[in-house]
Amino acid sequence: MAFQPSKRRHRGMESTELTLTPVMNLMVVMIPMLLSNTQFIKIGVIDLNLPPAATATSATAVAGTLPKETRRSLDLTVSITDRGFYISSALAVLTDESTAGPTIPKKADGTYDFEQLTKKLYEVKQKAQDYFPDTEAIVIQAEKDIKYQTLVSTMDAARSIEVNDQIVILFPRVSLSAGVI
Amino acid sequence: MAFIPSRIKRHKTALVLSLNLTSMMDMFTIILVFLIKSYSTEGQLISPSNFLKLPYSQVQQPPEVGLDVFVSKQMIMVNHEPVALLADVMKNDPAVMDHGVIKPLREKLLTTSNHAKKLEVDYGIKFSGKVTIQGDRDLPYSELVKVIRTCGLSNYPNLRLVVYRESE
Repeated sequence: MAFQPSKRRHRGMESTELTLTPVMNLMVVMIPMLLSNTQFIKIGVIDLNLPPAATATSATAVAGTLPKETRRSLDLTVSITDRGFYISSALAVLTDESTAGPTIPKKADGTYDFEQLTKKLYEVKQKAQDYFPDTEAIVIQAEKDIKYQTLVSTMDAARSIEVNDQIVILFPRVSLSAGVI
Repeated sequence: MAFIPSRIKRHKTALVLSLNLTSMMDMFTIILVFLIKSYSTEGQLISPSNFLKLPYSQVQQPPEVGLDVFVSKQMIMVNHEPVALLADVMKNDPAVMDHGVIKPLREKLLTTSNHAKKLEVDYGIKFSGKVTIQGDRDLPYSELVKVIRTCGLSNYPNLRLVVYRESE
């Protein structure tokens, strides 16, 4: 007697599954490796280049190459004091409109007004751009007790400004001045 | 005529259990992409010291290798070796200070730079005069300037101030 052929003509599709195990193995190895190598604290550096050992001979050599008349420079200086910022340059010392106080006084809550400083320096930059060759350099000096963080924030404020979604470089070449030690 | 039920198929009811790994894979992929994005091949060039809190800055410049000078609230260290006490520097102690130059730091830097220059002559490893200064964020300006001045006068004119980058 012949068997009747199976009636299950329409078998359900075999469920095809990806073999995920090798991928999982890879993930399990890679994630701890990358995790252990990741720096969550981002560290950066600020360049502060001093002139290499300024001796008397090199100073006269530089001065000798250029005629005095052409060495017109802006000499922009920001002084950090406990009352606020003073901005001075070859042109003038900028003062507050009303008094002879600092150019940019501290805010009412006693913190430094870095935004105002950036805006003021942007004005200076725009005015000075056509007249002076050294429109990237700035000298920052501070009173004795000014904290390092304030100094770094001042450098930040002097570095660039965002105008109309465009970053304008202000004065990135910073030198520090100590006055008389 | 009735068929005899298959005796083989009687036990073919074993339930196939399988974990649904797809969502886990999704998660892992996202983590992996995130980690690869923040992965740098350079490794950690500068290891921040535990003794001090670096200041925050918006600067985007990546760190560079250089001689490490730490200025914490207690002492000044070069390559993790204590050189001078900050209290002496603040007092302008004549045993330590000489016209705004920190004497022990200067000696240490000169020794290191001489050694580095010798390496440059012997093996061609270039001496860049780079020094990375890690200062505490509460350090007063007068002390910082002393350290910077000493570095500048001791064959290390290329200063790098190490800061934490503020994430935008």
